[in-house]
Amino acid sequence: MKELEQLMFRLCKAPGISGGERLAAKVVAAELSDIAKVKIDRMGSLTAEFGNPKAKEHVLLDAHLDQIGLVVTGIDENGFLKVGRCGGMDARVLPGSAVTVYGKETLCGVVCCTPPHLQEGGEDQVPPVDKMSVDIGLPHDEVEKVVFPGDRILFHTQPKRLLGTRVSAAGLDDRAGVAAFIRCAQILSGEKLSCRVTILCSVQEEVGGAGAKTGAFSAEPTQAIATDVSFASQPGVRPVNIGKLGGGPMIGIAPVLNRKMTDRLIALAKEKKLPFTREVMGGDTGTNSDDIATSRGGVMTGLVSIPLRYMHTPAEVIDLKDVENTAQLIAAYLREVG
Amino acid sequence: MSRFELLRELCEAHGISGREDAVRNIILREIEPLADSVQVTPLGNIIAFQKGKKRPKTSLMLDAHMDEVGLIITDFTEEGFLRFSTVGGIDRRILPGKTVWIEGKLSGVIGVKPIHLLERDEREKSVPLKDLFIDIGAETREEAEKLVAPGDAVIFDSVFDLSHGKIKSKALDDRAGCALLIELMRDGLAYDTTFVFSVQEEVGLNGAKTAGYAVHPQAAIAVECTTAADVAGVERGRDVCRVGEGPVVSFMDRRTLYDREYYQLAFEAAKAAGVKCQPKRAVAGGNDAGAISTSCGGVRMASVSLPCRYLHAPVGIISQDDYEEAKKLLAVLAERIAETDTI
Repeated sequence: MKELEQLMFRLCKAPGISGGERLAAKVVAAELSDIAKVKIDRMGSLTAEFGNPKAKEHVLLDAHLDQIGLVVTGIDENGFLKVGRCGGMDARVLPGSAVTVYGKETLCGVVCCTPPHLQEGGEDQVPPVDKMSVDIGLPHDEVEKVVFPGDRILFHTQPKRLLGTRVSAAGLDDRAGVAAFIRCAQILSGEKLSCRVTILCSVQEEVGGAGAKTGAFSAEPTQAIATDVSFASQPGVRPVNIGKLGGGPMIGIAPVLNRKMTDRLIALAKEKKLPFTREVMGGDTGTNSDDIATSRGGVMTGLVSIPLRYMHTPAEVIDLKDVENTAQLIAAYLREVG
Repeated sequence: MSRFELLRELCEAHGISGREDAVRNIILREIEPLADSVQVTPLGNIIAFQKGKKRPKTSLMLDAHMDEVGLIITDFTEEGFLRFSTVGGIDRRILPGKTVWIEGKLSGVIGVKPIHLLERDEREKSVPLKDLFIDIGAETREEAEKLVAPGDAVIFDSVFDLSHGKIKSKALDDRAGCALLIELMRDGLAYDTTFVFSVQEEVGLNGAKTAGYAVHPQAAIAVECTTAADVAGVERGRDVCRVGEGPVVSFMDRRTLYDREYYQLAFEAAKAAGVKCQPKRAVAGGNDAGAISTSCGGVRMASVSLPCRYLHAPVGIISQDDYEEAKKLLAVLAERIAETDTI
């Protein structure tokens, strides 16, 4: 678990806001280049291929590389940065947060928190993100030299070890999925597989899934498994049809997901005595699996999610055991394909 | 080593109100070689006396507080989450999603319900304190109770950044004041002076109240950080004071009516020293001055503050220039007060 923790922290420390995933891709490439054929595609997504290149069955493993953040939309006359959401940023976690602005140089900033007596609604209201500002402590003219509209902003936070095998970091959604696939490739390296496997670390999931759409088209797989994070039980959330930290991978059941693959994943989890839960979704899954399943003429697709608390905050929490068990489950599945 | 290594060490130290030990130890280490006498009071204040070249006509005390705002553990849930209260004035909007340290050794996070699961009307509301918990990764109450106890202190994880002439850190309120006092002691003031590093400012000025009694000076200067509301969305005229425009001198706040002559003297002293200085342009906030000014038979009071944005948030911003100017102003103002007779 120590090694997995270090891998997770390396992945989470690399910035990769939607549309700006280059540094995160570089870190993933370094992890996989010894055990797979790594490429970066035109959109910025990373692919890593291993297994039997001539096999008939080609399994695509998708985890998204990007994470939510902010994007600079303008600079006001006093030098404060106006910002927009890059993905589903939760306004409630922003006020007073330390952030990193990836401008011409890397800058430390603070999300403005107007004193309550000067703000309509006082402490009760949280303004929408497009009404918030980021303060880097510089006057307008100096800001213009180092920050441009379009620059990305991330929370300034370091991954933290919690008790047991639990960790917290910004961007575990979905670096946890990326880590599971890296682990899976490590487990299978040196083994002879009867299928071809492509790991796709896709860009821009948080803003519409462009990386998965184009990546799945290019890879042209015969089947696919997406791994994202999903809701784990936590205070304030009704404990119905959600996962649990340490409860193992959440195997998705939804109309768009291939039932045979889902059944096989469940059977394998039982055979290997891996903990798991079922996650049932009536409509779409809200993950890349929706786009991958409908790529080209259609792709049989499964979804295996890692339970996570406090999604889309800088304080996301997972249990590393769930990542390891996800990797073990997918490795077991891949051994059987072809 | 940067010019602000001492301030960094002070800011990074954990010291919520009532738990100032780590800060006190740094300050004692720094001032023991500089002071003629050092005393730690029953509540934990440091009272240090330093002889100057001259004996003052008015005995003067400088005060800065050591404590910072934070959280305190109160209880557990059956699932192993920690309940907490705030210590000092914390805007509850800044709590969700923050990383914290418990007793300086254990990491935790303040989680919230994911945005995907919120009702529409919840999205623009701040989260009530009763719905916030600290998650340390414990699986049960028993596991949490082995490592954490009610009363344990919680501090925000933060940054320390010195780029572009600013200082961004937690606890600038009032470790910046503590650093200023230590630096004034290093340089040595013209007249005998008592330096007080007080406890529990953020929860009711308890340290200052008792230090004022113990020292019973004729005059005092509170050295503080004060809210600079020169932030986005606040028009000029309501911004109280501005970062980068020099130290802030108060005529009145919610606790204190400052000595009128000293208020004017501060601006004269600033002019004489060629130092920028601004009035606090609002009757808001309050600091140790409130307790010191009414201790014993009364103390003539002044306040010199650094303008600080996001005062009680996990990261505030002050200006390095303001810090240097405040230090110069304090040296001159202290001399002016000490050399003048008072009743």
